[in-house]
Amino acid sequence: MIELYHVWKQYQKPLWALSDVNLSVTRGEFCFITGPSGSGKSTLLKAIYREVIPTEGQIIIGGINIQRIPDHKICAIRRQMGIVFQDFRLLFHKRVFDNVSIALRVLGAPPRDMKRKTFIALRMVNLQQRLWDYPSQLSYGEQQRVAIARAIVNNPRILLADEPTGNLDPDLAHEIFGLFRVINKQGTTVIICTHDKELIRRFGGRVLYLHEGKLHEKDVG
Amino acid sequence: MNSLWQFKIRHVFSLTIICLSFVIVGVFLSMSNNLRFRARELSKNLMVVFYLHKDLTASERGLIEDEIRHSPLVDSVRAVGPEEASEKFIEDFPELKDILLNLNINPFPPSIEASLKDPGLPTEKILQFITEVKKNSGVEDVQFNREWAEKIRSLGRLTEAIGFFLGGILVLASFFIVSNVIKLNVLARKSEIEILRLVGATNTFIRIPFLLEGVILGVAGSCLSLLVVFFLIKLFPLYLGSSLGALQEIVGFRYLTQTQVLALIFGGGCVGFLGSLSSLARFLRM
Repeated sequence: MIELYHVWKQYQKPLWALSDVNLSVTRGEFCFITGPSGSGKSTLLKAIYREVIPTEGQIIIGGINIQRIPDHKICAIRRQMGIVFQDFRLLFHKRVFDNVSIALRVLGAPPRDMKRKTFIALRMVNLQQRLWDYPSQLSYGEQQRVAIARAIVNNPRILLADEPTGNLDPDLAHEIFGLFRVINKQGTTVIICTHDKELIRRFGGRVLYLHEGKLHEKDVG
Repeated sequence: MNSLWQFKIRHVFSLTIICLSFVIVGVFLSMSNNLRFRARELSKNLMVVFYLHKDLTASERGLIEDEIRHSPLVDSVRAVGPEEASEKFIEDFPELKDILLNLNINPFPPSIEASLKDPGLPTEKILQFITEVKKNSGVEDVQFNREWAEKIRSLGRLTEAIGFFLGGILVLASFFIVSNVIKLNVLARKSEIEILRLVGATNTFIRIPFLLEGVILGVAGSCLSLLVVFFLIKLFPLYLGSSLGALQEIVGFRYLTQTQVLALIFGGGCVGFLGSLSSLARFLRM
């Protein structure tokens, strides 16, 4: 499903954000990427959804080398993904409904379908009552849940989440991870970047450790 | 539509510029229309007026009149005496009546108006006929209204050209203004565009709202300009009153034809679309 071959990324010399990363994630896999701040976790995710272009190496998603396809064709790959950004990236002048349904709007979903799916996604993150609020009226944790709802609303084949529970209390974080597990059980490949070792331990799955741009498989026991 | 309301000040500004540009084109087109209409009217009543010497006797006048009447080009002939010419002048230009009366003499010579059979006759043939009649010593001067028609038609063309030149410069300015307004809108919605890209929106999906904004601005601006031109045409004669006299007929406004109206609206849409497109090509590279 997701394959990375000898991926290197350098923003500024002489530091490497990613250093010879090789990774293969199979369809339906649930995996964590962990590591200290600045280890390259976000860069790795950004390279997968091609927000950053690796300095060297190849990234293949669903059999397509995303380095080789032209810019205007990357939208087809991104439509199969749900992304939870570390900084949420919500539109503060639009309501919660519009923020979530934007992912369906780009797919050209009919309005009725759009309403139904948006409502279901918001119910999954316990925000169905805040449908017509603006993000500025929500707490930090609620904003994060809106971002999660936007990522799952189109039933993506791949779910990438960058610190999705960073601002949530332990109970809600547990709930959200449970939600990711449910989505994963439905066949979605899930990759989560997180610091939270406790949650990783509790939910299990494959754990990858990034340190100074180098990726290692880790056994969390 | 949301964006149009969200950034209303800059949109009102660009709408005004587009409107002004098209008002200039519209006003000159309207004047040109009027001149061309006058030229057509003149061509329809194709007429040659022969001015005779004042001291000709009635029999001498009769001979010239007969010569003109028997020409195969002439349809009908009408003799106009100095008194009748004077009365017609006063009727056409009432404000100049006093000047004429103060002269104490009638300055108008007797004349013969010859209506020609076919308005489409070649000018050379008519000029040949005029030259023949002019050989007669009793004929002092000749006025041929096709020359006037040609002059008015040329003036109409010139007016149109000036309109397109001035309007063209302003339309170009509108193009750059629309382009910059859309650029500002793109910058203002940068985060939204970014999110749209990341959730898989195509370039077309992102561009369409901006292109629509440009087209709406252009079409609204040109429609507004048509309204302004319409009111100008209605109000201009009221403002001038009768001070222009008969000249008002020549410089007066005639509203645009249906084709011109549609062309201006289409032009507005094109200016908006192209302005927006040029901006997106530079600032929304994907």
